[in-house]
Amino acid sequence: MQRSEADAADTHFGYRTVPLDEKQTLVDDVFHKVAKRYDIMNDLMSGGMHRAWKSILISRLRPPQGDRPFKLLDLAGGTGDVAFRAVTAGGSGTKAVVADINTEMLAVGRARAAKRGLEAKVEFTEANAEELPFPDASFDAVTIAFGIRNVPRIPRALEEMRRVLKPGGQALVLEFSKVDVPLLDKVYEYYSFRIIPRLGHRVAGDAEPYQYLVESIRRFPAPDVFAHMMRAAGFARVTATPLTGGVVALHSGYRI
Amino acid sequence: MTQTQRPGHEVDPKLLEILVCPLTKGPLDYDRARQELVSRSARLAYPIRDGIPIMLADEARRLDESEIKR
Repeated sequence: MQRSEADAADTHFGYRTVPLDEKQTLVDDVFHKVAKRYDIMNDLMSGGMHRAWKSILISRLRPPQGDRPFKLLDLAGGTGDVAFRAVTAGGSGTKAVVADINTEMLAVGRARAAKRGLEAKVEFTEANAEELPFPDASFDAVTIAFGIRNVPRIPRALEEMRRVLKPGGQALVLEFSKVDVPLLDKVYEYYSFRIIPRLGHRVAGDAEPYQYLVESIRRFPAPDVFAHMMRAAGFARVTATPLTGGVVALHSGYRI
Repeated sequence: MTQTQRPGHEVDPKLLEILVCPLTKGPLDYDRARQELVSRSARLAYPIRDGIPIMLADEARRLDESEIKR
């Protein structure tokens, strides 16, 4: 089922093959449906593990202490979760811009920023990861946590991430991966296809968006394939670190 | 297309400083009255809704000839 990028006028929406332009509409629809309960669902779906994974992401990001300026762009981070963690972990010079294509997710994020008194440190903008509204070399780091698999043209998004990074800047991509531990893979299979859509139905009132989430996770390229895509986009010192038996992988690359 | 602007959330000036047109990567002019970010190079005006710049071509307004000459 491998297809070259060149003839890819179609893309995947979960297990369905859909025209490229349609995917964004379908993905938007998923997140419109789940925005308010998104972080709660993440907690339930991952048994709270997404917090640990995001902590590891932040520790790899290493925002500087003190007033040294450090500008982070967090993509697909509408609810603000990663950005809040980054500016809290960093010193007074650490600032974040959140970009998300979904209005509802951004509205949730901005309300939370106000509640936590982080309005001066975190900015919100609606943008497409494939067409970023930022100049070349404008960020010290770019992160995307559980977002890249929803982007219709991943290579374009990776090129944009590299473009907006300053030389020496780091891109960190946290994404579901392929479980590589025997037995755990079977448990994970059962859990994700049987339990998660039901959880979605109960908690967020709709099973279908979560069916999509599960399928899209399975469609996401294996760590070595994704590492290759990062290198193809011009990233250097590319690494993939499997977490929790490969349920998730943290991908890293630098613009040099 | 007359929309009354409700001044609730004002967009952060620091954010405006770093934004460029997502299509051309060219500069943007801030039209405060209309709450738009105008890209002359792409002939598009990106809306700012509730203080959040919507930097999507699909959501942008096409500039008419008179606006471009201005």
